[in-house]
Amino acid sequence: MIAPYLTAKTWLHHVSAGWKLLALAAISIAFTQLTDWRGLLAAAAAVLALYLLTLLGHWSRLRLYTSLLPLLVGIGALQAYASGWEIAIASIARLAAMILLADLVTATTPMLAMMDALSPVLRPLRRIGVDENQVSLAVALVIRFMPVLLNEWTKRSEAWRARTGRRPPLRLLAPFAADVLRLADHVAEALESRGFSIKRSQERNQEENKD
Amino acid sequence: MPQSGDGKIVLRNISLARQDRPLFGGLSLEIAEQRVGLIGDNGAGKSSLLRLLNGLLLPDAGTIVVHGLETKVQRARLPGKVGFIFQNPEHQIVFPTGAEEIAFGLRCTGMPSQQADTAARAFLAEHNCAGWADTSVSELSDGQKQHLCILAILAMTPSLVLLDEPFSSLDLPSRMKFMQMIAALPQQVIMASHDLDVFADFDRVIWIDGGKIAADGAPSQVIAAYRQRCIDSIGRTS
Repeated sequence: MIAPYLTAKTWLHHVSAGWKLLALAAISIAFTQLTDWRGLLAAAAAVLALYLLTLLGHWSRLRLYTSLLPLLVGIGALQAYASGWEIAIASIARLAAMILLADLVTATTPMLAMMDALSPVLRPLRRIGVDENQVSLAVALVIRFMPVLLNEWTKRSEAWRARTGRRPPLRLLAPFAADVLRLADHVAEALESRGFSIKRSQERNQEENKD
Repeated sequence: MPQSGDGKIVLRNISLARQDRPLFGGLSLEIAEQRVGLIGDNGAGKSSLLRLLNGLLLPDAGTIVVHGLETKVQRARLPGKVGFIFQNPEHQIVFPTGAEEIAFGLRCTGMPSQQADTAARAFLAEHNCAGWADTSVSELSDGQKQHLCILAILAMTPSLVLLDEPFSSLDLPSRMKFMQMIAALPQQVIMASHDLDVFADFDRVIWIDGGKIAADGAPSQVIAAYRQRCIDSIGRTS
């Protein structure tokens, strides 16, 4: 679930990004270990309560989840058909809880703080020639541009509907993909023009390594 | 304050091909004026020329020196001296809040993160935009987004600001406010725009046509010549 940062301050805003990411990872692992549907349902209810209490007054954010509902229902139906309703409930509860937790972290963590927390964790990637600053920037970019991309898709769909009166078909994905690539080009130019480039980032790393 | 520079831009015998099509062939140009406008049809080479000046594009042949920096040799130092404002602020804003957007540019110049955050907040306050520090950029109007983009560039204290059709998404009040802001900048400004009225108070306007300089001089004369060419070309096609 990718939704914007919540600028109104909650208690979770004051917890450091590193602790939040660590807790998110630990709880997510715990959720994958839980298999009993009753336990998972109770845990998911606890997560929902935490979510609602933390984002008190900002529950309209939950509206963003309506687009996810068909996906959850689909997964549930498939699981119920293939493995029975207990497993279906367990899967949905696990997925919903993990999405809510991830959203709590995104809603209460500034992007630069998230990047700073991720960079040291990703540092070992340097050994295989991957720059951690770029990976953490990539994560930040995904979060920032998801609403922009959704908006672009809406515009494409509206243009299609206006001309045909029908729902947008899958083949609309091809021009949309072209839009996304064009957007990526623009953003890369904007980053480069402000001095964030692969070469500079590598030079910085080399300088840090020398120190 | 803007960084010092000799304030001069020199292009010598520039060649550049885009998508295997030659755009500039032996273009030479010197710019020392504080306010310079670029006009011309779509695809004439305005955006490419601006991109050559901040090193986003490098010439296939020839040299470009911008405020003492040779773009081919000192490309990495250009972002500290040359700020670039794009057509669509949505493409330029990378972070979800105002303070982060400003701080990112400062961090790119090597400033430590904590210091960059403090400086970004102080910079916004200095420009009467303290309220944007923790505001989600998605809540800003198009005019405010473009305003934030220019603040993010100014925070990096460039000596030259390039603007590539910055008005296309702005309504009239935002456009007027933005022009007022540009007029007050201490930096050298080079701007490409299809809105010819904005160049009235500029020192110089250059009309680019098919990668060549079609006219160059005082805004009133160059713009009049361009308008006339447009009228003539409509007459020929109708």
